[in-house]
Amino acid sequence: MGLDDRRDREPDVYQPAEDSALLARAACDRVGENELVLEVGTGSGFVAGRIADETDARVIASDVNPWAVRQARRTDVETVRADLVAPFRDGTFDAVVFNPPYLPTDPENEWDDWMERALSGGEDGRAVIDPFLETVDRVLAPDGVVYLLVSSLTGVDDVVGRAGEEGFSAVAIADESFPFETLTVLELLR
Amino acid sequence: MKESLLDILCCPLDKNDLELEDAAYDEGEVIGGALVCTECGERYPIEDGIPNLLPPDMREETPA
Repeated sequence: MGLDDRRDREPDVYQPAEDSALLARAACDRVGENELVLEVGTGSGFVAGRIADETDARVIASDVNPWAVRQARRTDVETVRADLVAPFRDGTFDAVVFNPPYLPTDPENEWDDWMERALSGGEDGRAVIDPFLETVDRVLAPDGVVYLLVSSLTGVDDVVGRAGEEGFSAVAIADESFPFETLTVLELLR
Repeated sequence: MKESLLDILCCPLDKNDLELEDAAYDEGEVIGGALVCTECGERYPIEDGIPNLLPPDMREETPA
């Protein structure tokens, strides 16, 4: 599915944007042969679909939003409705990919609908990133890595610091600047 | 869902194995039924071919 292909879009699902394209490109360049990849918070399924199309990895896509998993399933990736990595077995994935909700948001404007949940990272922008960093280690295979998209609006150094507390070292593998933010893809390794 | 997805999934509450029950199939894919935890017995429905593995307290949560 291309960025302009909106035929199958669901109104309550985050549709692919610049962050999705940057993350997809970085992940496709690094995913190895026959790997098992999980995309958390897949939204439209764009990133998972690109990895499935451009590599020979088996790709699983999950989202908490019922409309998102339905749209993602149409990209031919295997889909699961899930809260982050909760229903996946220990030591399973060679790579976990995540474009999280990251916009710092006034708490009074939160959790009103699915689109808000796709975008809002709470007051510090890390309301979903932090629990992800605390739990993702369990599902990674021994040499497994995480590809995490982070915005300057959330604070890349803060996220790198939190990842460090969970035992990950972080390397910036891609970035792109826009008028109001810089997007960075972090590779997290143990 | 493909039946092989069961090798990757576990109960979101206690991380034990899941068993497929009351499966309905279409063209080799599981399109209905439930995944049931072999330890705690919690049932997770398969809706339109997509397993809903949200923990029970999040399952009914539907923002407007």
